[in-house]
Amino acid sequence: MSKIWTLFKREYRAAVRTKSFIISLILVPIMMGGGFAAMIIMENNKDTDDKHFVVIDHSGLMTDPLSKALDIRNKEEIIHSNTGEKTDATYVVEFLEPDFQDPEGQRLGLSQRVENQELHAFIEIGPDILHPAGEEKQAYLKYYSQHSFNDQIRYWFQNVVNNKLREFRAAELNLDEAQAEELLWWINVEGMGLVTVDKKTGEQQEAEKTNELQSFLVPYVLLILMFMLVMMSAIPQLSSVMEEKNEKIAEVLLGTITPFQFMMGKVLGGIGVSLTTAAIYVGAGVFTLKYMGMESLIPVEVLPWFFIFTVLFILMVGSGMAALGATCNDNKDAQSLTFPGILPAIIPMFLIAPVIADPTGPLATTMALIPPFTPTVMVMRMASSVTIPMWQPVVGLLGVILFTIFTVWIGARIFRTAILIQGQKPNLATLYKYAFKG
Amino acid sequence: MNIIELSGITKTFGSVAAVNDLSLEVPKGSIYGFIGPNGSGKTTTIRMIMKIMYPDRGKLLVDGQENNFERLKNVGYLPEDRGLYKKMKIGELLQFHGELNDGTDLPNRINYWLERLELKSYKDKKVETLSKGMKQKLQFIATILHQPELIILDEPFGGLDPVNADMMKDIILELQQKGATIIFSTHDMAMAERMCDYIFMIYKGKKVLDGTLEHIQDQYGNDTLRIQSELGAEALKDLKGIENVNNFGKLQEIRLEGGVDPQQILADLLKKTRISKFEITKPSLNDIFIRIASPERKEAGNE
Repeated sequence: MSKIWTLFKREYRAAVRTKSFIISLILVPIMMGGGFAAMIIMENNKDTDDKHFVVIDHSGLMTDPLSKALDIRNKEEIIHSNTGEKTDATYVVEFLEPDFQDPEGQRLGLSQRVENQELHAFIEIGPDILHPAGEEKQAYLKYYSQHSFNDQIRYWFQNVVNNKLREFRAAELNLDEAQAEELLWWINVEGMGLVTVDKKTGEQQEAEKTNELQSFLVPYVLLILMFMLVMMSAIPQLSSVMEEKNEKIAEVLLGTITPFQFMMGKVLGGIGVSLTTAAIYVGAGVFTLKYMGMESLIPVEVLPWFFIFTVLFILMVGSGMAALGATCNDNKDAQSLTFPGILPAIIPMFLIAPVIADPTGPLATTMALIPPFTPTVMVMRMASSVTIPMWQPVVGLLGVILFTIFTVWIGARIFRTAILIQGQKPNLATLYKYAFKG
Repeated sequence: MNIIELSGITKTFGSVAAVNDLSLEVPKGSIYGFIGPNGSGKTTTIRMIMKIMYPDRGKLLVDGQENNFERLKNVGYLPEDRGLYKKMKIGELLQFHGELNDGTDLPNRINYWLERLELKSYKDKKVETLSKGMKQKLQFIATILHQPELIILDEPFGGLDPVNADMMKDIILELQQKGATIIFSTHDMAMAERMCDYIFMIYKGKKVLDGTLEHIQDQYGNDTLRIQSELGAEALKDLKGIENVNNFGKLQEIRLEGGVDPQQILADLLKKTRISKFEITKPSLNDIFIRIASPERKEAGNE
């Protein structure tokens, strides 16, 4: 054990003392945080230049309401109440009569004006929008722009037109304003957590509202962090072992330590590096969330599971990568073996959306109980706002422990045979031979 | 008492027997030289002794321990291919190797050996800043730092200049005097002749020589003449009874054909030139090595 410890210390020091480690430690959160910061900056620094639109109103109903709404928006809504500064673009709308002779020509002409950037977009309001029943094709609201799918401005026109239509319809039914408001009242469903009992005090705890951040951001951040830690410590084992093999360091060390001790010292060194990184990031994350008064986002109960699963995941992938590294002779071999080695870390990245959308669904549950994917998928599920049955993380952990023991065992067998063999191309047949025949 | 005992050891790679039915006994406290042409099985034998590789057949005892997967204790190993962490500082690297070998009093020992091998001023420098010879000395320190009882050196003098080779030779002899057993493989026959108590030669995986230098030379008899004459090698031309001439310029070493009388050679030479040296001797280790491993011998052996 003392030899593993000696090797662990060397690996750990060699990794954390490098400039690249320190730079990546600082750069990764800056880059990740930079993305969020850029979003916030973009949000706060909206384009306030005037935006020009053309509206062709086939119904003849919307010209006045739109003009009034535009007036209110441009004079009041986009002006900051305290500073008096514009916070958004002024919408300048030109109303055109429909060209019944050549409607296509009119659309083409307007499209060209959009392309020439004279206009931001043009909108066509169908003739039968007030009573669409039976006339669905004529009850349209079309927004023509270069990037209409991403253009959020279209929703402003949609809201104004639909609110006015509701008013018109209420008036036709002789409903007063209050009745109309009640008629159109929409109740949103609120996502709530469960009512719990405080284990210490025994008091019943009110259910809390769940939000998008809890449901998406927390599992997402934990998954990315685990992925990053594996990429940082387990994946480089392949090239590191290959280098030590080619530079004959392995033979020097194997005179003193067993191949198993060699492999474990290296993999545990990698785990040490990852845990250091994780402790810094998680610590900084907890501190920041507390500072911002968002303690509720800290997944306190999931963090121990996160650390346990991360350690096992790195042990599992790291020993596999070390074994594969021992079979490599050059960078070409290393490149061809890296991809299959990192699949357990990559595949869960494709499962983020379905797992977060339905953490207790059959896909998420099944994947969480397949050992190579358990660490990532189980932690994602546990960090979501849904409560998963307690037996699942326990069974998942047992599976991961057994699978990790198997990976380390088979990795050690491949490692001890391959580390001194030169010139043998690594492929499935040689790996099988090293693993089971020595 | 033997520190190493090999009995019927065989190791094959695919269809090639790198070591074939090898038996060898290394007495404690001796210097044992392993010689043999490249690819003859020296390194494989050493790796098996070090338990880096395991024999397919045979029994291998090191300090009384049978074949098992435990590492050997109190052994220092300098492999043929040197391998050092380039980015580590010299002092840290020696501390690392010392700890791996359960060494004691490491800081003092590190300073002592760095001083002794003239590397003290490099202690805080990275390994990558050292020359090839310096790296070799550094690896040698890493091998002996923990005062091992058995020291196995694979080509310890390769790449060293004569001054450093001499320095290392003195240290090896000093370690032997303190009780260590030393095995080293070498292509330097003169060094092997001067230093080794026993010499073992392996050729194509098989033991072909084993014993003291005298014992080995006795097997070949006094069939060698060392001659210095005014005409040099020219004088030996057309001389009968000579199997081989090794010309060193000012001195020629002659191997006689079986049953030829050296006095007859002397008489024939005196007719041609003036002789300043005429020595009847046993063949050198270098000559014996060439006799066994030369292409002519291989061809003859194959016939």
